[in-house]
Amino acid sequence: MFVIELAGVRIRIENRYPFIERQCRDFMCEGEDAAFAVSVTNDEIVEEQKHGEFSDGYCESICLYRHICEELPSYNVFLMHSSVVEVDGYAYAFTAKSGVGKSTHTALWLKNIPNARVLNGDKPLYRLESDGSLTAFGTPWNGKENWGENISAPLAAICFIERGLENRITPATEDDVIGRLMHQLYLRGSRQSVTQQLMLMDALVRAVPYYVLECNISDEAALLAWNTMRKS
Amino acid sequence: MQINHDFTIQKVGASYVAVPVGETSKTFHGMVRLNETGAFLWKLMAEKDCTEEELVDALLAEYDVSREVAANDVHRIVEQLKQNNIFI
Repeated sequence: MFVIELAGVRIRIENRYPFIERQCRDFMCEGEDAAFAVSVTNDEIVEEQKHGEFSDGYCESICLYRHICEELPSYNVFLMHSSVVEVDGYAYAFTAKSGVGKSTHTALWLKNIPNARVLNGDKPLYRLESDGSLTAFGTPWNGKENWGENISAPLAAICFIERGLENRITPATEDDVIGRLMHQLYLRGSRQSVTQQLMLMDALVRAVPYYVLECNISDEAALLAWNTMRKS
Repeated sequence: MQINHDFTIQKVGASYVAVPVGETSKTFHGMVRLNETGAFLWKLMAEKDCTEEELVDALLAEYDVSREVAANDVHRIVEQLKQNNIFI
């Protein structure tokens, strides 16, 4: 059992396997007090193993994060499946359907944009602030590339990535944004939790500019996105 | 028609989004998007079992439209919700 801090919320992890302890080491904090505690039943681990050949510890970690993400909306914090790059103090988020090339595009940013670093490559958290802005936070769950750090930054823009033969970036309409975001948010849990997540989604669609980037795998794709999304 | 209790509806941006909660969220993946009229009818059907005629009457009491337009709207939205399988 140990305590981590995610997006400013202290969470007690009641684990059975050591896997999660190694994973969370950069997020651990002193003391035992926490906003809430999470644990996973044996049945949940067995259910998770139906999705693939994974270790008990890995499955426990996946289930723990799921529980965490069902609790966090009460603290104005939510998960959006995305890759976040931090450049000069601002966070830039990319999201796409699985397999489209979020990681590839993220790697192009690291290569082409000075001072770029990955805040989280897969499952960052976002917190709604009292002024309506959003802050992106790193988490111990950061995808198969294991890209991420325990850092945070105000969110500057969100970009939906699609594959294209040529590079083109256009602003996304609100209607389009809502349809695309639904696939990337974790809208599960109790009525209270899901309702709160939809209220956060309402804030999310207003908080930042949105773009759709059709791109190939090239340095120009990253530079086009950066030059359009960058916060001056 | 009465809507499955395991849904929650919220205004997101300029439109409304309804998504499943609890057990229903494990079997129904996705969302229902509705305009202002759709959300108005949804809320009525979430409260109690309604016929199309009752919905048309409620719409006429709330909005300044002809019965024909209201009936068309109700029928279109009810059919959409039937296809989404969200009635009890």
